[in-house]
Amino acid sequence: MKGSLTVRNIVIAGVLGAIAILLGVTRIGYIPVPTAAGNATIMHIPAIIGGIMQGPVVGAIVGLIFGVSSFLNATVPLFKDPLVAILPRLFIGVIAWLVYVGIHKKSEYLAIGAAAFLGTLTNTALVLTMAVVRGYMAAGVAWTVAITSGIPEAIVGTIVTLAVVLAWKQIGKGKKSKISEDL
Amino acid sequence: MASEFELSRNITIGQYVPTASFIHRLDPRIKLLVFTILVLAIALNTSYLGNFLGLLLSIYLFWASKIPISYGLSGIKPAIPFIIILGLLQLIFQGSVFSGGTVFFQFGFILITSESIRLVIVSAIRFVEIILLSSVLTLSTSTTELTHAIQSLLSPLKKVKFPVHEISLIITIAIRFVPTFAIEMEKMMKAQASRGADFGSGEWWRIIQRTKDMFPIIIPLFTIALSRAEDLILAMESRCYTPGNERSAYSVYKALGRDYIVLIIGLILSSLLLFYPFPF
Repeated sequence: MKGSLTVRNIVIAGVLGAIAILLGVTRIGYIPVPTAAGNATIMHIPAIIGGIMQGPVVGAIVGLIFGVSSFLNATVPLFKDPLVAILPRLFIGVIAWLVYVGIHKKSEYLAIGAAAFLGTLTNTALVLTMAVVRGYMAAGVAWTVAITSGIPEAIVGTIVTLAVVLAWKQIGKGKKSKISEDL
Repeated sequence: MASEFELSRNITIGQYVPTASFIHRLDPRIKLLVFTILVLAIALNTSYLGNFLGLLLSIYLFWASKIPISYGLSGIKPAIPFIIILGLLQLIFQGSVFSGGTVFFQFGFILITSESIRLVIVSAIRFVEIILLSSVLTLSTSTTELTHAIQSLLSPLKKVKFPVHEISLIITIAIRFVPTFAIEMEKMMKAQASRGADFGSGEWWRIIQRTKDMFPIIIPLFTIALSRAEDLILAMESRCYTPGNERSAYSVYKALGRDYIVLIIGLILSSLLLFYPFPF
């Protein structure tokens, strides 16, 4: 049951959303990179993990929570625009899920890694595209940001996602609730 | 040093200033609706006069809610350097994109026109307005009220099978767990620090080092969160929680006359910001 909102999907989306909010408000989710956008971020990782673990709906909801919280906490004019802060974030988890589902029959590790990498790039690319469209940045500046903060983000995202999802697959073996997969 | 670990203190989520003003007593549904419309209208307005009106309006709302303006200003202060840097960059690089209007200055690729100056000033003012407006909303409405408001505003979507109740439950769970995870994270940071780990003290340019320092915090944070999720799933299933069932609410909101008046004023102001052709 990947699409519908089961108890499992609701709870996992909520908990991952909480992490996205927490990483934002404590500033732990920011990697200081000296660019115009201020900081690289790892706050999109919960959305990717939600997408990989529980499917596109959970991924999109966690992305939405991340977007709204980054909109409310923003200290840069760029992210005080709902079209830049919220809209692009919906797609992170969806793309990550698509990539994961596409590859995971071949190699689980490769699928998780690729999903995390492309999910992060989705975030960077869509946010910067919206920033250029809405006139906050010139295309040249956006490319610089994409390279200086997008690449480190993608690498960190891949490492953290791999570690967390693989660890969770271990936890998942001793899943306490026996019925949630059947519902 | 120890203050670096006190994460739970810095969390302003659900920060609420009870002054029992007119704005506090408004129906949260109406408040959220008017807020959303106003923010959209402000985000799409590009004139000086329109944004100036928006600024006056947000300052007025702060005054009306009797919340000290310092709460709103504290959100703006750390942003000032960013606003200035971003403004300069926009001024230098955006002239060719927004090239309408009078050309004031041209040198090589630098092109400063009245349109690019407008872009810089308007986006700075817009930022201040949205910060003030969203502070008024969150400081005058408790998180419970907000989630109820979201749920009842989205309830027409039930007709098209949109899971309104589930979405608002997700939001409630998320907000509920933020302080819990903050405490967990504090514990982990202290535990790692007592083993000699080092957070945030590396030079800022050693990005890789600083990022690596965060791994022993972030990865356990996710695993702890997910194992808590397992507990919660078990608890909810053993109480036979079924998503999608009809539920009644503990508190029922009833919009009064004043709420409708506020709604109408909000709609008029937003359509003014959206459609009125401001002279500048």
